Amino acid sequence: MSEPIIRLEDVSRVYDTGKVLVPALVDVDLTIDPGEFVAIIGPSGSGKTTMMNILGCLDRPTGGRYILDGTPVEELDDDGLAAVRNRSIGFVFQSYNLLPRTSALENVATPLAYQGVGRRERLARAQAVLEALGLGDRLHHQPTELSGGQQQRVGIARALVTEPALLLADEPTGNLDSRAGAEVIELFRRLHASGRTIVLITHDPDVAAAAERQVHIRDGRIAA
Amino acid sequence: MKLGDLVRLALSRLGTGKLRTALTMLGVIIGVASVVALVSVGQGATAGINSRLQGLGTNLLSIIPGSTTTGVTRGALGSVTTLTIEDATALATLPDVAGVAPELASQRLVVAGDQNETTTVIGTSPAYPLVFAYSMWQGSFLTQASVDHALRVAVLGNATASNLGVGPSSIGSTIDISGLPFEVVGIMQPKGGIGFQNPDDEVLIPVTTARDLFVGTDSVRTIGVSVASAKQMDAATAEITALLDQRHGIGAGGTPDFTIQNQAQLLSTVGSISTLLTVLLAGIASISLVVGGIGIMNIMLVSVRERTREIGIRKAIGARGRDVLLQFLFEALMLSVAGGMIGIVLGVAASAVIAVIAGWAFTFNPLTVIVSVVFSLIVGVVFGVWPASQAARLDPVVALRYE
Repeated sequence: MSEPIIRLEDVSRVYDTGKVLVPALVDVDLTIDPGEFVAIIGPSGSGKTTMMNILGCLDRPTGGRYILDGTPVEELDDDGLAAVRNRSIGFVFQSYNLLPRTSALENVATPLAYQGVGRRERLARAQAVLEALGLGDRLHHQPTELSGGQQQRVGIARALVTEPALLLADEPTGNLDSRAGAEVIELFRRLHASGRTIVLITHDPDVAAAAERQVHIRDGRIAA
Repeated sequence: MKLGDLVRLALSRLGTGKLRTALTMLGVIIGVASVVALVSVGQGATAGINSRLQGLGTNLLSIIPGSTTTGVTRGALGSVTTLTIEDATALATLPDVAGVAPELASQRLVVAGDQNETTTVIGTSPAYPLVFAYSMWQGSFLTQASVDHALRVAVLGNATASNLGVGPSSIGSTIDISGLPFEVVGIMQPKGGIGFQNPDDEVLIPVTTARDLFVGTDSVRTIGVSVASAKQMDAATAEITALLDQRHGIGAGGTPDFTIQNQAQLLSTVGSISTLLTVLLAGIASISLVVGGIGIMNIMLVSVRERTREIGIRKAIGARGRDVLLQFLFEALMLSVAGGMIGIVLGVAASAVIAVIAGWAFTFNPLTVIVSVVFSLIVGVVFGVWPASQAARLDPVVALRYE
């Protein structure tokens, strides 16, 4: 049995609003193995956004342990977290979050720039990923010149370009029409088939159905 | 992130809002341009003073008569008449003195053919060109013989000669000074120079002739003394003082009836004042550079606010705080340095125009450019670092949700 990609042990996250302490996650235990396709599903306010932030190393748990790809995340400083986000995690956002006024190619190449990869090499790698996702003819288009589905595919290409251990998608179909959404889900299925570890966070049971395992979250706890 | 990537990022960003970029740079442009122009103008003025220094004459000391004291009333400097042609002759024998030129001057009407001009007619000695740094253009200067015999000969300054229509062919012709005929024996080279008095507009005649025909007295306006070398200036001053004290019967502790002026010293004082003024003006101009820097900081702070989401995205995909800091710092640096470069070009152009108008040689000092670039770099860093650190400190979770 290989080491799990994600291991959460008694993870909690409490927000201190100054007056009251708001627990967003309470004693969460979760293990995700390499190659799994897991959907984390819950209604709004259930703590799934906090879960996403913790899993994505954008935020640190206030209690418990989080081991990502063998690295104990709660021990890392800000630069350490940035490095983990850069190398081990590929983010796919609901609103795509592409850099404005920046071509698809440059967008996809940007994470590599933060690794110090040379310009020629990173553009070549970005182009390869974009072509694999069927965007070979959109390399030099800016986000505003692309459809929603195309933008999301650029976003997925950017997540994949660093060959991360974990692909973390937050409502990736939320802003898409049903056809484009279905294409994105199909893309995730293919990536899963090729061995990627994917965590999909959604409120939509239909989207969650694409995953092989579903984790329900409610009131900051894992329900089932 | 690598240096090249940071530069490319900053350039592409500045290229997307050209009007805003230009307006932001304007403060630095104006600041640097005015510093460069003012420094250049100051240097031009100083260079003008230096050329006057050289035009003054070699190691020149000017002796002028002191003031009269009648009872308790002290007269103006130069009002005593005790400094004489004989004093000048005696001074010429001092060891450290290379030449002595007394000046016995008066304003006279000079007529040559159908041209006339009222100009300064100066009685002097053959040492005049040496003492006051003139050279001959045509003919020859006054000789000792012409002084000894009080001949009616005249040497014309270049401007006087051309005013009177006297050319090379007129050497040996006759002009009238106050109705008395004089033979033109020479015309001097133009000396030029900046000042109220044109050094080329004068007529020189033997000092004895001037005394006999025009002034009627021995007492001179000034005696110009050329000292053998710059090192002997002090020694010569002492010798002259001693000799004149003795000749005028002034004992130890007595008040001398003459003043020795070192004009070079005077002018170099003026020069140092003009340098001081230059520094002062450049200092004032650099205030606008600081204002320009604040403009950059203002725009950068707005930019950080506007681009909060972009910062969140960059952090999410792996930018460290340092990467974001450098990105924004480089934008500020590009603004200030590009503004600085444009400012240098404008400043140099402005100083060239001023040099043409003021009539001095245009001096281009590379040091000014280097200093300006370094200064605008510093402005960029000082005023860019705060907005940049604001950007770097943003929490990615908050920044990603920022609308």
